[in-house]
Amino acid sequence: VDEVKAHLNTAFSSVKRWRRLNTAFFYPLFILAMCDLPASAQSPRPTEFQVKAAYLYNFGKFVRWPESVSAGPVFTMCVFGDDPFGGALQQVTDGQKVNGLSVELRQVTAVDEIKGCRVLFINGEEPGWRSGIATAKKLAVLTVGDAPDFLERGGMIQFVLVANRVRFEVNLDAAREAGLQLSAELLKVAAKVVAQNPPGGQR
Amino acid sequence: VINRRSISARVTMMNLIVSGAALMLACAGFFAYDQVTFREALVRTLSAQVQIIGSNSVSALLFNDPESAENTLSALRSFRNVASAGILTADQHVFATYTRNPGDEILNLPVLTQGQNEAYWFRNTHLVLMRAITSEGRVVGYVYVRAELSEINVRMRRYALIAAAVLLLSLLLALFVSRAFERGITGRIIGLADMARRVSRERNYSLRMPAAADSTEVGVLVESFNAMLQEVQQRDSALQKAHDELELRVQERTRELLSANRELEAFSYSVSHDLRGPIDALNGFSYVLLQQYGGSLGPGGEEIVGHIRTSARRMRELIDVLLNLSRVTTSTMHLEAVDLSAMARSIADELRRNEPSRQVRFSIAQTQPVQGDVRLLRIALENLLRNAWKYTSKHASADIEFGEKQEHGRTVFYVKDNGAGFNPKLAGQLFQPFQRLHNAEDFQGDGIGLATVRRILSRHGGEIWAEGAPEQGATFYFTIAAGSSDRPR
Repeated sequence: VDEVKAHLNTAFSSVKRWRRLNTAFFYPLFILAMCDLPASAQSPRPTEFQVKAAYLYNFGKFVRWPESVSAGPVFTMCVFGDDPFGGALQQVTDGQKVNGLSVELRQVTAVDEIKGCRVLFINGEEPGWRSGIATAKKLAVLTVGDAPDFLERGGMIQFVLVANRVRFEVNLDAAREAGLQLSAELLKVAAKVVAQNPPGGQR
Repeated sequence: VINRRSISARVTMMNLIVSGAALMLACAGFFAYDQVTFREALVRTLSAQVQIIGSNSVSALLFNDPESAENTLSALRSFRNVASAGILTADQHVFATYTRNPGDEILNLPVLTQGQNEAYWFRNTHLVLMRAITSEGRVVGYVYVRAELSEINVRMRRYALIAAAVLLLSLLLALFVSRAFERGITGRIIGLADMARRVSRERNYSLRMPAAADSTEVGVLVESFNAMLQEVQQRDSALQKAHDELELRVQERTRELLSANRELEAFSYSVSHDLRGPIDALNGFSYVLLQQYGGSLGPGGEEIVGHIRTSARRMRELIDVLLNLSRVTTSTMHLEAVDLSAMARSIADELRRNEPSRQVRFSIAQTQPVQGDVRLLRIALENLLRNAWKYTSKHASADIEFGEKQEHGRTVFYVKDNGAGFNPKLAGQLFQPFQRLHNAEDFQGDGIGLATVRRILSRHGGEIWAEGAPEQGATFYFTIAAGSSDRPR
């Protein structure tokens, strides 16, 4: 960056030199910018669960909780059952904040531990995950899962793979019933939004 | 015509230049101001757009949805000057792009320095504006737009068009204004110049400029010009009047003088003529007295009667001379070619015959014939030669010369002797009647000869003058005008 500054400073002294530098200096940058280099060339391509971990963290930024829940001093993200992320979630959320609150991770093994969570990832391989969905809905917790019938079971956001890319689908009715407001920005990038009721009254 | 137009042309040119220059400066100022404000406005508009796009692209970036981002970017289609736009990921990879027309891709993309939220760069033909997209205080990507500056060019063209139109109009206006001024000021100055030229050419001082109704400098100029003409005209007419009066007076005086002269001549002729009778009687009766009563008078008485007779004869001679002079003045002239040298030779022969005892050498040159009255010219030449003969009588050897010479383009005749001469200071009196420079005892004479000569020559349009010194001889020069005519007397 300092090199850029230095170049810019000298460049202003002469229009001719500016033009020359323009081509000489910015062109390689452009190449760098425009070429969609394979991720492996720079850093190892993120794994499916690394992406999912990042998404899980980012969901929190586009959801508004009811007053009763949002009063807590920390932003608690929970995983129901075994943690499939393998430390990726820890990596993504380390030192990060959501709506100004620092993120805290918690492992949940029973439904009565769900209270206090803001976001709950439900591992579909956990035997009691369906009851977890119901409990979380009552407690106004955003439920995210990757079970194929997650939305049908009342889950709110379900990860899907589209063209080998991680995307997600949203059950807007479930979120509304729980009193959660999902932002239009989030819905915009969702692969699918399931909504039986007309979308009146939500942001 | 060029001179005529010079003032108005200069005034017109001045108007055109001043209004044109003022307009050019004003246009340049407006244009510069417009450029600045337009660029500022463009940056503000683009900045607002980029902010909206940025905040609408956060989720697309976070959830890796380029389609959504491109969808957001496509909102720029309503901004015609945005040629291309794009969103980069946090590590500067292209995430989504938008181009208005294919090939509008941005080539050399600048980068934001660290901590910089937004920056813009003006290039030759476009403006690039870049803004960081943040989420929870972290940069998650960048959005940029590239706007064409062609609108500035369009505006510039529009400005140039308007400026040209206004320039044309104002130049026309300036032309009209200077036309109006030409009628008002320059026109009158040109009129004044024309009038001055006319006055000096025609010498007509009665011309006037139409009176000026205003009190501007031009009006004052016109008034003073007219006043000057008035003054000149007055003086000119006064001068003309004085001149005419003088002419009239001269004519009147000449007429009076002529009639007085004629009366005088008639008087002197009649007096001389009438005096002849009594003198003849005096002469005759004294002769009778001397013949018949001579003896009874005694010797004293006889001598007295002799004196009376001498005086009477002398008086008779004087009267004859006066009558001759009068005739010379008044007689009619018959012009013919006259050979003066032949005339001089015959006079010389006559003089020698009358006084054969004197030794006088005549040298008479052959001269050009002249036009004149032969009788009058003979009287004049006889007078001059007889004078020379007379005033050389006291000299043992006398030389008398007659000839001609060219002087100042005219023929001058002369009669030269080596006789008694005269005092040159009194040369002016030589030709006055009855003026004698020598005693009657030394040289006999009636004092009328040279006066007669002068009158004759004067009637021939000529003149006479003399040179001489006492005892050094005298030379009489005279001219006869070619084709001489009798001057009115």
